[in-house]
Amino acid sequence: MSVFTRSDSKDTTIRPATEKPEVSVTTTTPEFNRATQPVQPVSHLTPVQSQSMSVISKALKITGQLESTENIQIDGEVEGDVRGVVVKVGQNAKVKGSVYGDEVELSGTVDGKIEAKKVVLTSSAHMSGDVIHQDITIQSGAYIAGHCRPEYGKSQSTPILSRPKEVLPRA
Amino acid sequence: MPVSQRRTLVRPPLGRKEAELPTSHLGRALTIRGILDTEGELHIQGSVLGQINADRLVIGAEGYVEGDVIARDVRIVGRVKGRIFAYQVTLDSSADITGRVFHHLVTVEKGAKIDGRMPWRPLNFFESFEQPPEAQS
Repeated sequence: MSVFTRSDSKDTTIRPATEKPEVSVTTTTPEFNRATQPVQPVSHLTPVQSQSMSVISKALKITGQLESTENIQIDGEVEGDVRGVVVKVGQNAKVKGSVYGDEVELSGTVDGKIEAKKVVLTSSAHMSGDVIHQDITIQSGAYIAGHCRPEYGKSQSTPILSRPKEVLPRA
Repeated sequence: MPVSQRRTLVRPPLGRKEAELPTSHLGRALTIRGILDTEGELHIQGSVLGQINADRLVIGAEGYVEGDVIARDVRIVGRVKGRIFAYQVTLDSSADITGRVFHHLVTVEKGAKIDGRMPWRPLNFFESFEQPPEAQS
């Protein structure tokens, strides 16, 4: 079964309200454009597409840091820190390291820290470490071993998008 | 865990149906420093600094890889700086490569930029591929 169809049944409760931080997650009604989109956003067959979102599939293991100014879906294994805008950690995914983002949705395992404006821990989430947030949703069944602190943006922690982006050589 | 020490780059990974291994996409804005290891397919539009082990690999037009690339089948549309170890290599016209391309089967489209050598290697080099040798400077 494709990993992209996995969370269909839960979709209405964990749907992230993109760009609508004032709306509580649990009460968000499905957006029309989302509802009309096909369930599988990623085609496995198109060889080269300028798709900007990143998908770390369940077959991929990364040892190192990930940094993106766009969204990241993790279904595989990451040993290292992850920085993105909307970061989703899927049900069988494992992250050993910290996850930073504007919005982090955890359905898998994180062994480290989550630091995000908006944090969603779904019923299958397994979180070992602290959660630094501004707005948090925890579904029944989520496992948390660590502190939840509503301190996002209050400490020295740097918002990802204002960090100087490292310049890579371009031909 | 280190990447698999010995693998074959000639056949697809045994015991795995391709359908079970969804493709990974690294988007334009993504930069990874480290080691990527997959027995499936990987499409890169972003930047990777480090080593890549994959079955099939596509480095897209906006992709940039710096480091060693080890795969069965590689298609390069973007840029690579480093070494490529692949049974089958396809270089598109916009490919830009600095380094070495170890291959058994190669296709180079008109326009591809290659700065470096492209050593051919016999089948058994890829049949039991171990970790790439240390780069000579």
